[in-house]
Amino acid sequence: MASSSAAVPRRPRGALLRWGRLPAWLRFSLLLAALIGLWQAYVSISDVNPLLFSSPRDVGEAFYDGWKDGSLAETTWTTLQILAEGIGIGILVAIALNVFATLTQIGEDLLALLTAILNPLPGVAVLPLAILWFGLNTRALLFVIANAAAWPIAINISTGFKTVNQTIVAVGRNIGLSQRRLVTDVLAPAALPYAITGLKTAWAFGWRTVIAAELVFGVAGGEGGLGTFINNAKLYLLIPQVFAGLVTIAILGVLFEAVFRVLERRTIVRWGMKTS
Amino acid sequence: MSAPPTPATSPHAAGAATPGPLLRVEHVQLGYWVDDGFAVAVADATFAVQPRERIVVIGPSGCGKSTLLKAIAGFVPLVSGTISLAGRTSLSPGPDRAVVFQEFDQLFPWRTVLDNVAYPLRVNGRRRAAAAASAREYLELTGLTPAADRYPHQLSGGMKQRVAIARALALEPAVLLMDEPFGSLDAITRARLQRELRAILDRTRTTLLFVTHSIDEALVLGERVVVLAGAPSSVREIADVRDVGPADSPDYAAMRVHLRGLLQIEHEGADADGAEHDGFV
Repeated sequence: MASSSAAVPRRPRGALLRWGRLPAWLRFSLLLAALIGLWQAYVSISDVNPLLFSSPRDVGEAFYDGWKDGSLAETTWTTLQILAEGIGIGILVAIALNVFATLTQIGEDLLALLTAILNPLPGVAVLPLAILWFGLNTRALLFVIANAAAWPIAINISTGFKTVNQTIVAVGRNIGLSQRRLVTDVLAPAALPYAITGLKTAWAFGWRTVIAAELVFGVAGGEGGLGTFINNAKLYLLIPQVFAGLVTIAILGVLFEAVFRVLERRTIVRWGMKTS
Repeated sequence: MSAPPTPATSPHAAGAATPGPLLRVEHVQLGYWVDDGFAVAVADATFAVQPRERIVVIGPSGCGKSTLLKAIAGFVPLVSGTISLAGRTSLSPGPDRAVVFQEFDQLFPWRTVLDNVAYPLRVNGRRRAAAAASAREYLELTGLTPAADRYPHQLSGGMKQRVAIARALALEPAVLLMDEPFGSLDAITRARLQRELRAILDRTRTTLLFVTHSIDEALVLGERVVVLAGAPSSVREIADVRDVGPADSPDYAAMRVHLRGLLQIEHEGADADGAEHDGFV
């Protein structure tokens, strides 16, 4: 039991320079700077072969040049375009399957079976078949990405619909909503936390899949995205460019995470449907 | 429109113009499927609700009183019997029988308090501005004006139930259906909301069908009390409680004892301690 004279608990502090009191952006910037410093120190001190490992300085230059001459921008744009299209197709497939599943028992069973079989399959595993069916072109890539994106979205939408709180569905019917508006105005927003989770997973799967597929395409001399950029740079032993491609991928990943966080903060966190 | 509207001006209150009961429940039988067959919950329910009357259906847990309310709301099919509202039977769910549920999560979490009340009005054909204006009146009536722009997760349980009440009242239902709306609240909040609901209904003169297992709640809110008991249950008595007076009057105490007897509750002393705020005390 706390007595009346008990001291107010002290605010916990970081040991070093009150680290925990610094703002988050500064903490992470300092850490990042330290890591880059270590990287630079390693390259300077160890005399590592520059054909194997680049210094952050060279990578920075390659990154800057790549964006300046448009080669990185172009390939990034190509990759993002294909990714967006592939995920878009995946979303459509997922929605169509869920509509079918809501309407009929056989649709529900089909959705359960397809997701059970295809969701655990790594997206890039179907690439050889896709190349066989479609050839070395964008359609093969789209197929692979759509396949990687569709199943996590389908599963999550399905779970979202199934776990909608029955009381608000009853309220929806009580206030006189038509069947269609019950879906668009009640079920859809109620399932939004799951839909966003599905979309995040689809993005992550699709992103990994498209880079991996492009690496393979690069070898085969197909058209160029970020993966191709990396692979070509390796072929010409332009190691700083390889690193610059990786840095671009990492930065894009962080950016998309941030976009999803903003999306969540403005919707499901604001509505108390997810704790931030 | 000026607050509070009366049922006579309400779009759903056609029954108020014609003499006789607004809502009729006649020999209604209800049940549900379990693993090995059909279980009858309500064997025979018969009663009528007059326009502007406040009826409380009371019964022990599991007697089927909530199922009966859901049947009136159109959510549960009847096994036999009829339910008619202003002469209409085969009722599907609709805003002329707006429901307030017991659960706190009956509000749309993605809509503000104001929009939770205004949205159902828009669904039913009201223009955006008119719906918002009407919603504001009902928020005022239920003391929610300061919370109008909050989201449901920022409200206490009592506030959420007020929003649900405002939403139901704003629809100007022919009959307001309430399914133990205060059942999950603490005793103090519950008593306050009972008093407030009574005052609000005195102004709106909404016809009420209220389901509860609390005798005190029935005596505070009801004009007549339909006692549902037995397994499967039937209507044991329809008691007129208009004149029982305040909670400390002898008539009130006598009615309480009478209702307890109908519900076959053990003598006061046999009751578990601490059950004072809840159940049949």
